[in-house]
Amino acid sequence: MIALFRYTMAAMLHSQRYIPPLLLFVGVAFVFTGSSGSLPVAAIYGPVSGALFVSSVWLTVTLVNAEDPVRRVIAVVHAGRSRSVLVATVLAALATSLLVSALMLFLPLVVGDHAITLDDILVGVLAMLTGASTGVAIGLIVSRLVIRRTGHAVIAALILMSVVSFPQDLPPINRLIRLLAHTPDAPDLLLGTAGCAAVALAALTASTLITDAVADRRD
Amino acid sequence: MRLRGIGKRYQRQAWVLADVDVDLPPGELIAFSGGNGSGKSTLLRILVGVTRPTTGQVLDRPARVGYVPDRFPPDERMSAHSYLTHMGRVSGLRSAAASRRAEELLERLALVGGADTALRTLSKGNAQKVALAQALMIPPRLLVLDEPWSGLDSSAHGVLAEIMAETTRAGGTVVFTDHRESVVQANATRIYRVARGKVTADPESASAARPEETRIVFRAPVNEYGIPRTADWHAFAGVLTARADGASVTVHVTSARADELVLAALHDGWSLVEAGQVNTPRAAVLGGAS
Repeated sequence: MIALFRYTMAAMLHSQRYIPPLLLFVGVAFVFTGSSGSLPVAAIYGPVSGALFVSSVWLTVTLVNAEDPVRRVIAVVHAGRSRSVLVATVLAALATSLLVSALMLFLPLVVGDHAITLDDILVGVLAMLTGASTGVAIGLIVSRLVIRRTGHAVIAALILMSVVSFPQDLPPINRLIRLLAHTPDAPDLLLGTAGCAAVALAALTASTLITDAVADRRD
Repeated sequence: MRLRGIGKRYQRQAWVLADVDVDLPPGELIAFSGGNGSGKSTLLRILVGVTRPTTGQVLDRPARVGYVPDRFPPDERMSAHSYLTHMGRVSGLRSAAASRRAEELLERLALVGGADTALRTLSKGNAQKVALAQALMIPPRLLVLDEPWSGLDSSAHGVLAEIMAETTRAGGTVVFTDHRESVVQANATRIYRVARGKVTADPESASAARPEETRIVFRAPVNEYGIPRTADWHAFAGVLTARADGASVTVHVTSARADELVLAALHDGWSLVEAGQVNTPRAAVLGGAS
């Protein structure tokens, strides 16, 4: 799995296709952080994790769709099973999103005058994990492996992202952002955000299994 | 390894393969001969385990499998060495071993264009060498090649034949497809015909005695611009290998067909430079002499 992960990351880095989605995320993170004035740090992480959610969907779709089908077949033969190749792609998308978002956690220090406690960082990590996991989960379901036509995929992505984000207090995304916006104290947030992260990871696992089953039947 | 009752169709469309029974014993070179759209490529993907059959079973597939696609995708910025090392690691080799094996294979296949430059800069024939090399990172017990001679430069055909011979000599099975009868006859110990999803065994194949081989060097006729003519030697039944070298071409042909080939070439304006019996008959290359 490590070898597959390294290969997937190397191919992604060579392709430079990760740049637009991550650039979008970084840009939005800067805007949110810069315009948040005297809000507590945790409240800033809310919309930033929302931006990560959207950018992760885009990154995952790009990563999966850009993979050449013949090279994928070769990788599957070397790995022994196609699920391993899919999991490596999921991990690559997740790792990339989390790495960049980890840097953004320190943005409030740089842009504007915020102090960041350890609890803030922990909450931030959990929030980013939630955003990234949910994003990758949706990205998988609307990728070429499941939905063939680009138009259908885009519409499905928009619908899924809306369904996940808009209903009041629905975990993980909406619940997370509301929690972060309304709870002032970082230590109280830890349990809530951990819960959201758990839901997000479960969604990612389910999405991976579904995508694998559909792709398998398709091939 | 065996296939029993294999069938494949995609989402309620026509059956691409139906009721396929195939035996793939060790030590054999098995050809699946058929035209485009016959279902050959799907069958190969089922053999290597990438495509799941709709019906039937694949029995006793070996653990170490190598798959060589008919075309290696050109758009890749990774270098050949880097790609092969990655694939070796995915197969379970340690980094250093994978890197060494990659170098060894690229040298054996005489990769032109740089093992460390981007794959997308390689010519099609050289990219296909990489496609072959990745399947050999760990010597496979099942080597499956889709139209291997078509994609490779003819200079690599000799190495390809050696590699196939080594695999079978070590007890592995080699499976290949080709749409040319001469290639199939010259290389396979067992032939299956694939047509419209059905696979039938060809009873006349599996001859243990390989025919003798003649080596002929021709000189090409030159046009008014000084450019020597080229010809598709493999289209002639019985031709085993053909290597061009400037204005000369060295052709290996089964001895029974040598006279006909010379006649046809002379008729077409080619000039005979040299001809002789090859000292090591194919039987020794394939049958076990080292």
